[in-house]
Amino acid sequence: MIAWTATFIAIFFALCGIGILGALVLPSRHGIVLGWIGCLASSALALAGANSLLAGTIFNRPLWAVPGLATLTLGLDPLSAVFLIITGLVLFPASIFAAGEMGRSSRLNGRAFTIQMLALYASIGLIFLAGDALLFLLAWEMMSIICYLLIVSSREKENAQAGPGYLLLAMGEAGTLAAALGFLLLAASAGTLDFNAIHLVAPDIGEGVRWAVFLLSFFGFGVKAGLVPVNFWLPQAYEAAPRAFVPVLAGATLNLGLYGILRVNAAAMPAAHVGPGLLALLIGVVTALIGILYATTDNDLKIMLAHSSIENAGIITAGLGAGMVFLAANLPIPAAIAFAAALYHLVNHSLFKTLLFFGAGAVEAQTGTRNMDKLGGLIRWMPLTALAFLAGTLSIAALPPFNGFASEWLTLQTMLRAAELSTPGVKLIFALSGAGLALTAALAVTCFVKVFAMSFLGMRRLDETRRVIEPKAGALVPMFILAVLCLLFGVLPTYVIPVLGLAAGPLAGASTADALVPPFFPSNPAHNTLPPEFVSDFHNIGAQVGQSFLPGRGLVVLHRGGAENPVVFAMSTAYMFVVLIVLLLLTYIIVRVWLTRGRKLSRRARWDGGVRRLLPEMTYTATGFSNPVRVVFDAVFRPTMVEDTRETVSEHFRTAILREKERVHLVDKLVFHPVRAAVMKLARGLASLHHGRLNAYAAYVLLMLLAVMVIFLLFQKV
Amino acid sequence: MGLFELKEKIEQRWPGQAKCLFDAKGAECEITCGREVLPWLCGWLFLGYDCSYAGLVVEEGASQWQLRHVFYNDGGFIHVLPGAPLAEKTFPSIVEFVHAADWHEREAEDMFGLVFEGHPRLGDFILHDDAWQENVEPMRRGFDSHAAMSRRKPDTGWRPHRIVREPGAFVMPIGPKFSGVTESVHFLLETVGEDVIRFTPRLFYKWRAIEKLAEGKKADDVLLLAERFAATTAFAHGLAFCQAVECICGTEVPERAKVLRVFLAELERLRQHAGAIQEICESTALVVAASQSGIFEEEMLRASGGLTGHRYLFGLLAPGGLLCDLADNACRVALERSKKALAELNELERRLRVSSSFLDRLEEVGSVASETAAAYGLLGPIARASGVVRDMRRARPYSGYEKFQFDIPGEQEGDGYARLRVLFAEARQSVRIMEQAVAFLQEGPVRQPVELRAGAALGWVEAPRGGAFHWVRLDEHGHIVRYHVAPPSFANWHGFHLAVEKFAFQDFPIMLSSFDLSVAENDR
Amino acid sequence: MSQWVFNGIRAGIKTTAYPKGAETAAGTTPGLPAGGDFGAAAARALIERCPTQVFSLADGKVKANVRRCIHCYRCVRAVENKANWEQTYEWTITREGQNEFLSAFKKSIHILVVDAGDCGACLNEVRQLNNPYYNMHRLGFFITPTPRHADVLLAVGPGTDHMRPALKKIYDAMPGPKKVVAVGACALSGGVFAESFVCANGISDVLPVALEIPGNPPPPLAILHGLLVATGRGPAASVLSMLLSGSEAAK
Repeated sequence: MIAWTATFIAIFFALCGIGILGALVLPSRHGIVLGWIGCLASSALALAGANSLLAGTIFNRPLWAVPGLATLTLGLDPLSAVFLIITGLVLFPASIFAAGEMGRSSRLNGRAFTIQMLALYASIGLIFLAGDALLFLLAWEMMSIICYLLIVSSREKENAQAGPGYLLLAMGEAGTLAAALGFLLLAASAGTLDFNAIHLVAPDIGEGVRWAVFLLSFFGFGVKAGLVPVNFWLPQAYEAAPRAFVPVLAGATLNLGLYGILRVNAAAMPAAHVGPGLLALLIGVVTALIGILYATTDNDLKIMLAHSSIENAGIITAGLGAGMVFLAANLPIPAAIAFAAALYHLVNHSLFKTLLFFGAGAVEAQTGTRNMDKLGGLIRWMPLTALAFLAGTLSIAALPPFNGFASEWLTLQTMLRAAELSTPGVKLIFALSGAGLALTAALAVTCFVKVFAMSFLGMRRLDETRRVIEPKAGALVPMFILAVLCLLFGVLPTYVIPVLGLAAGPLAGASTADALVPPFFPSNPAHNTLPPEFVSDFHNIGAQVGQSFLPGRGLVVLHRGGAENPVVFAMSTAYMFVVLIVLLLLTYIIVRVWLTRGRKLSRRARWDGGVRRLLPEMTYTATGFSNPVRVVFDAVFRPTMVEDTRETVSEHFRTAILREKERVHLVDKLVFHPVRAAVMKLARGLASLHHGRLNAYAAYVLLMLLAVMVIFLLFQKV
Repeated sequence: MGLFELKEKIEQRWPGQAKCLFDAKGAECEITCGREVLPWLCGWLFLGYDCSYAGLVVEEGASQWQLRHVFYNDGGFIHVLPGAPLAEKTFPSIVEFVHAADWHEREAEDMFGLVFEGHPRLGDFILHDDAWQENVEPMRRGFDSHAAMSRRKPDTGWRPHRIVREPGAFVMPIGPKFSGVTESVHFLLETVGEDVIRFTPRLFYKWRAIEKLAEGKKADDVLLLAERFAATTAFAHGLAFCQAVECICGTEVPERAKVLRVFLAELERLRQHAGAIQEICESTALVVAASQSGIFEEEMLRASGGLTGHRYLFGLLAPGGLLCDLADNACRVALERSKKALAELNELERRLRVSSSFLDRLEEVGSVASETAAAYGLLGPIARASGVVRDMRRARPYSGYEKFQFDIPGEQEGDGYARLRVLFAEARQSVRIMEQAVAFLQEGPVRQPVELRAGAALGWVEAPRGGAFHWVRLDEHGHIVRYHVAPPSFANWHGFHLAVEKFAFQDFPIMLSSFDLSVAENDR
Repeated sequence: MSQWVFNGIRAGIKTTAYPKGAETAAGTTPGLPAGGDFGAAAARALIERCPTQVFSLADGKVKANVRRCIHCYRCVRAVENKANWEQTYEWTITREGQNEFLSAFKKSIHILVVDAGDCGACLNEVRQLNNPYYNMHRLGFFITPTPRHADVLLAVGPGTDHMRPALKKIYDAMPGPKKVVAVGACALSGGVFAESFVCANGISDVLPVALEIPGNPPPPLAILHGLLVATGRGPAASVLSMLLSGSEAAK
């Protein structure tokens, strides 16, 4: 079995290599290379992960002993395997989409783009497969640089600035540096760079080092994940990135940051104290809230989705933090549930966010704009895109039966498990976090109602001369692949959770499947472990339905509590889905076939108050729709009026009212701008030393020499 | 004192360029002036001589255009007349100094095809551009309505006039059919959501062209129109028309008719103010207060119906007096009912003054500053709530108002609450006048036969919503040659945007109700 | 706020007895002219005097077409041969060829009020239906702002040119079965505005009118009667008109 896993991994790297070579050799048609090779490579990656996870094969194989440093090790454990599957699932459609994009966009340098993309695939794979800190960091660095190249080298607009790319690189490097420091500290305390070896000695690491490692790795990797306060690069980079690349950025590389945090703080060095977990939880909730607030009020499809990625990373981090707290508080079952919820949401976010970026890319490509104030009514010209995009928005807005509902609901319910914690302060933080996440979920609905309604529904606001048509299959097929996956992951959580549990369980030391998916199907071997009266209660309400034709444990997700309260919560999106369809059909039958039989269906023009002609400019814009949120949260946004002028003729006739508000992102204002100002000040101070006078430079040298001598003398004495 | 001093001042400023002509009492002055001094002269009257603007009357003479900018102050009426041959269709606009003339000039442009040089926004006013082609000039003598109708070619590319340049700004359309029981009017609210940045009313959905309809009709028949174009203030408009006709014909209205006219006009004011208060209470969703003020309004309607047979006082006025006499007793009964209603209205006001949730929605909402109210020429209770205290009953008394003791309530704040206070205070004054009127009643005839003759005159009243001005020109057979109405709602709609802008959507119905605007009165 | 509740209760019940009993308070209706037997000269004078041609001569008797009456009172005030004037309020006229409502509409309907150039009086009388005296809600009549919920289109005003497209749009936007009720002389015949080139001769020029409520304006009770007739529960007109006596109006 190990052989299969290894073979798939080998095939993956080989394909990436072949693809790069092919792109170098071929004069044109690079899109085909990227499409086919990318699909095959990502399939191999997913298969490798699936094989490893389901067959339970883990391996740890020394690769190359770097003289004087350490041994590079390839390692694969359930955690990496889950991430391999997710990445494979995302890269498969992303490759098709990118290939389609390359066929259309003349600005993209096909050869460079293909090579960079495939190299990125390989580096991402390598990060997950790294068994020690050194290989991990090397792969990480490679990935960072390729991301930078992808953003900078293939800018779509000529006038676009390189700023976002540099910012991404600088922030990425700063993050890497912090993470590397964390690793070094960890390695110094543990005496090894190998993750498995670290895990063995982790319980002996002191509290101070633990905190230092946690903080460094959390905020270091948090850069990639987009956590507050190190996420100011993210919306700019996403905006600057080409359409073909953004889905990968959101669906695959964002996960890397979370993987890094998990790898260090949950897998290698499990938390021993609730502190780090609580910090992660709080940061997660704040990130989620800030992310969704800016997502709701932004009108640029791409930037808005970037802010929403930040929000989802926050939700995932909150789940992780909750898991870490439970783990430190010695509650393995809630911890397993929390980790499973976080991983579940991570999978889901990758799926629906990639889908939404495909949709946004398709809309931009077909209409020439991403500004929702200028879109509208696209469903009439792009019905298939609209359908797939709708699936994505329903998923991200966490509406059943789509996948976002299952994972966000699990995350929220996990917060309620705080009742089992003993410290009141921790309970309070959990309660507040739960409230914060609930607000986030509510705003997310507003946000994506706006996105879908303003882009696809209503009246067309686009220039009438522009011809808008459905995109080609190259864009539609990947969207529908992901839309179907979104639905499946939403309807069948009882099949997803046990698989994710294979990774989440070992982190927490408890079985996630047992904790969340009770084996209600009698055909399942574990069925007899449940108390019979408990089972019969649930069988009475139909929990066994489907046993005859479905494998697995059951279709109900359930938190089991203690004797007093045997069920904390239970849900079944699968049954819900069936009931939903039955109800819809019944409604149709009752209303159309029975109650109104024989009546003609009449369609009337929309009611517009009786105006002669309703014009597109007389309908709500995206700005108008989200303005209440903007007004309510003014205290957060703190907009500054940059222009508020009235032009008048003869004092009372106004000919123009010009208004513009500027909103500086909260994190920019509180973190980025002060840091930038401090750096600039430092740089100016340093620059003032460089005035070009030779005698001064001689004096510097002299002073330096003196200082060195003093230090030398001091140390000599010791 | 009259207006005689004006002559010297005008001649000093514009020597030889303007000619003043006074009537015997010096209460009316006609200034004929050249087109180049027109804006300056009007501007000086409006800004420097404490004059209010009543309106612009355009008349198409046999060979000459006769434009008549009507101003008035406590001394009398001043008509400024720039004449021009019919071929000349361009006149200087006076809006640079007299912003109150804005809509009057737009109306003249739409109705006569005149061009006002210097007016920045002409067109798309009474005749909507998306309903009518250009060059339809319905008030011209030779206007062929059949031709205009059959050659309908509206501007299909019509777009709302937008001036707000802010990302995401849009125009929120309201109406013409909106809300429950409302008059038809279309609002365009420029906004980015939540707040109204710019407000544009699109009126004249109800335009019935009564001025055109009146042409060539007998005065008696036009009285029916004057009463019925804005029936919530039917008596006031009917009275203004009758007074104009009586002025032309030199009819002396009998004393009893004068007193009864005052009594009825105040009864109507009381009823109309009760209705306005009811709408304010309703717009703030204060249900009990809305119901109670509804009771007062119905009480007053029943009092009017009981006294005169008609709840809106139709069919009473006639040029020369009243169509029929009213019994003193019946008047006393109506007065008692009014007093009873007023007592309860006072009680309602006392309770409203201590209902903070109600006041929160009115105070500092829809404020109109005193200077803008004056510049826009706002009229009636709206203007008085903003500190522009001019009342035709006091400034240019008619129908014997000079005999009555009454106060003209004014407030300074100009917000919704100030307007509500003015309504309550005026209702009290109305009852006070009615009491005096009943005391003044003496036996006598109520109608003096009118000997119709050619001529033109202005009739004015202080209608419940403000000063109303009716210009009437009769030919020698007593038929109407030109009938022009400048109703108070026309002026107040013009300034309504001052109150609405910068406020949130949810305050809009409250401001609309507190302005007590009539679309019927405006649309004519 | 509690003072309002108390105060509201203390005001007592003001609601009219109509339609269970007759409303006899003064000033609730302006009344309408009626035909009758006049001498030839008097009849001619009557016909000439009326500015809206209400009266006509048929078989030697004067007939009054109350649809056209605008309450100018010129047939009864300051003249010798007064027309008959009836102080009633149940005036609704049913036009033929209009579909009846289904029985589902008997208890309650939603009404959309459209102003098609009204002078304000009819609209104000419709507004009075919501005040405690008439309280139309007790009879299951509700005003709705949207045609989507409306069963009855209550139109006032002569149908001005600018409102015609809106009227058609509103009618089209209403779901069937639906009825148009024209309220007031202007909506019935154009009233004093009929000759204006921008006014229709009433709403029936634009929409199919099912019921007509004459009067200028018809008092709230007349409108109430019209709505009752629209829902198929209008009380018989003749019985009630006998109960009513003359008014203290015009001598």
